[in-house]
Amino acid sequence: MTTSTPHQRSQDLYARVKRFVLINMIVVPFIPLLLALIIGNHSFSRSIKDGTINSMKRIAADHRQMIESFLLERKNDLVMIVNTISFEEITQPGRLMSVFSNLQRTASAFADLGIFDENGVHVAYHGPFDLTGKNYHDAEWFQHTLENGVYISDVFLGVRNIPHFVIAVMKKEVGRKWVIRATVDSQRFNNLVRQIRIGKTGEAYLINRQGVLQTDRRSGGNLMETPAEKIPLPAPGREIDTFIHNSAGTDPLLKGIDTFMHNDAGADPFLYATCWLKDNSWILVIRQEKSDAFMALESTRLPILFICVIGGLCIVAAAFTLTGAIVRKMEQSDTEKALLNQQLIGASRLAELGEMAAGFAHEINNPLQIISSERSMIQVLLDEMVEAGQLTPGESLDQVNESVNQIITQLERCSRITASILKFGRQSESREEELDLAVLIPEITQMVQKKAEVNGISLLRDIPQVPLRVRADASRLQQVILNLLNNATDAIIEQQGSTGGFIRVSLLHNDNGSATIRVRDNGSGIKQEDMEKIFSPFFTTKPVGKGTGLGLSVCYGIVQQMGGQMEVESRVGKGTTFSITLPILKAGE
Amino acid sequence: MELMKMMLVDDEERFLSTTKKLLERKGFEVQTASSGKEALDLLRTHPVHVVILDVKMPGMDGVATLREIKRQYPMVEVIMLTGHATMESAMDGLKSGAVDYLMKPANLEEIIEKAVGAYNRRADIEEKIEAARMQGSKEPPPEMLEQA
Repeated sequence: MTTSTPHQRSQDLYARVKRFVLINMIVVPFIPLLLALIIGNHSFSRSIKDGTINSMKRIAADHRQMIESFLLERKNDLVMIVNTISFEEITQPGRLMSVFSNLQRTASAFADLGIFDENGVHVAYHGPFDLTGKNYHDAEWFQHTLENGVYISDVFLGVRNIPHFVIAVMKKEVGRKWVIRATVDSQRFNNLVRQIRIGKTGEAYLINRQGVLQTDRRSGGNLMETPAEKIPLPAPGREIDTFIHNSAGTDPLLKGIDTFMHNDAGADPFLYATCWLKDNSWILVIRQEKSDAFMALESTRLPILFICVIGGLCIVAAAFTLTGAIVRKMEQSDTEKALLNQQLIGASRLAELGEMAAGFAHEINNPLQIISSERSMIQVLLDEMVEAGQLTPGESLDQVNESVNQIITQLERCSRITASILKFGRQSESREEELDLAVLIPEITQMVQKKAEVNGISLLRDIPQVPLRVRADASRLQQVILNLLNNATDAIIEQQGSTGGFIRVSLLHNDNGSATIRVRDNGSGIKQEDMEKIFSPFFTTKPVGKGTGLGLSVCYGIVQQMGGQMEVESRVGKGTTFSITLPILKAGE
Repeated sequence: MELMKMMLVDDEERFLSTTKKLLERKGFEVQTASSGKEALDLLRTHPVHVVILDVKMPGMDGVATLREIKRQYPMVEVIMLTGHATMESAMDGLKSGAVDYLMKPANLEEIIEKAVGAYNRRADIEEKIEAARMQGSKEPPPEMLEQA
């Protein structure tokens, strides 16, 4: 165990309490604040994410609709041609040109038009190239067309070395099959897709099943190129896939929806929405940089952080202020308690001391009694011896007589001391009765009136003519007040001599149900260093043999026992005021 | 009036012997007893007028002794000798029939003064009783006995 003073210990305690209160006052409010912010942030993020993803899905759906209808319209253009014009008619020279002209009027995207017989021979052609007579029987597109009746190719360069794709429709007539094929200018189609813009980085493009770009991509990557990133194929059907894709792979963003984040090496992750087009052969990709897509999310982070910091600061400030106040209050009340304890200990020590002193005084009285008897004996014997002439009067005899007389003086002094001590120790037996201070105090002051007049002291009374009833032992209260009056007289004689002194005895009715008896004098006052000790037993400033040092301590004990308080105020050379405060009896008590 | 006979009762032997010598020199006849029991025994054989009785004694204390004396010898006057702390017992003594009390340390003059006072009071009462007898009544009025 380490040794420490009580002061250090209480300081340690305050530090511990302070720490405890502080931590609790900071942590406890922080938990709900953080919870609120986290939950708010979470729901808000989620709602923003959902909103962003939904709007992306809507854009994807709209554009799929647009592209699909473009392709469908172009296909229907061809279907209408094959349904309205026979093979014979369309293969006649010049006819195809007029058909193409009509077609161009409704859809400028067509670049050329060709007719093939069922063996794949290019029987008629209108367009910028001379392709008539070429055989496409083994071409993939031709086989597909014969098989399915309709075919739309991927974008390819072909013989003309410009990106394009073809739409082919087969017509079955009686005993014959023929195919019409139109080339769609990829540039026109490109523009249709490229025009989609979302935010700063949002873009749309098409890829085929192999991941080859079917349109230009604004963020880099030309037609026919294959972008570096590998994005997953959308699920079959009309569902729109959304996801965030990054270089490490594709992470599901939200359960139930294929949502992924893509992160090109060194670039931001992208939020993707993908869906199938053209009977699952093309993929429409809508993508936007994640930071761009979720910008609203970022912008809410700042206020949340702000609230967190401001709220935290408020909590910390409040915690420090309150903790400081609490600890200060605690220290203050502890100090008061310590003071009260000290007073209580003082009072009980006084009582113990009183009992001890009383026992001591009583025991001393027996030997004193014997000394007194022996002294008388010596006196008697001396007188007899002088009478008998055994002792001759002279200086020696005078000295013996003086010594014997001195024994009387000292015996009287001892007797006075023991009497005072016994009074002091007599505190346990008192006869309390109801007293009216307004009557009792003038009676007591009357007793010292003569003595005061002799010493040139004016004794002033300030006693209201209203009964003030207290419960007390009349003789003890009298003892206390007489003691104070005697002290005051002594102090005045010391300071003022035989003129100009006054003692004012006042009786006050306090608001808190107590009465104060005040004895004020203009005597010599009490020195500051003596103030603490004046109620201690055996403390006296009077010359040796004059005071026992018990008067005020007895008074203090008596007043304490009556449930009252005794206080003193004094200024050296100006005077002293003693106040005795006693509880007043309420009516009917 | 016959010579005053006194008895000192105290547990302090030296006090008894010195005070006895002093009082005898002043012409009083003095008995001493160092306990209540001894005092009662002595009273049986040597009646006295005034008893000076210490309140605080080992064994039978002053007040008990006083009660016994007043019970057995109602005409004996008792003066209580007390230390201040036993003022209450001195008061009890007065209530139980002691005529006066002396505060320790008491000097010889005080002792004599109180003893003489008590003796005179006793003599006064005896005179009255005598006078009452003279007037013809055989018995003294009960209130006078009680007063004694």
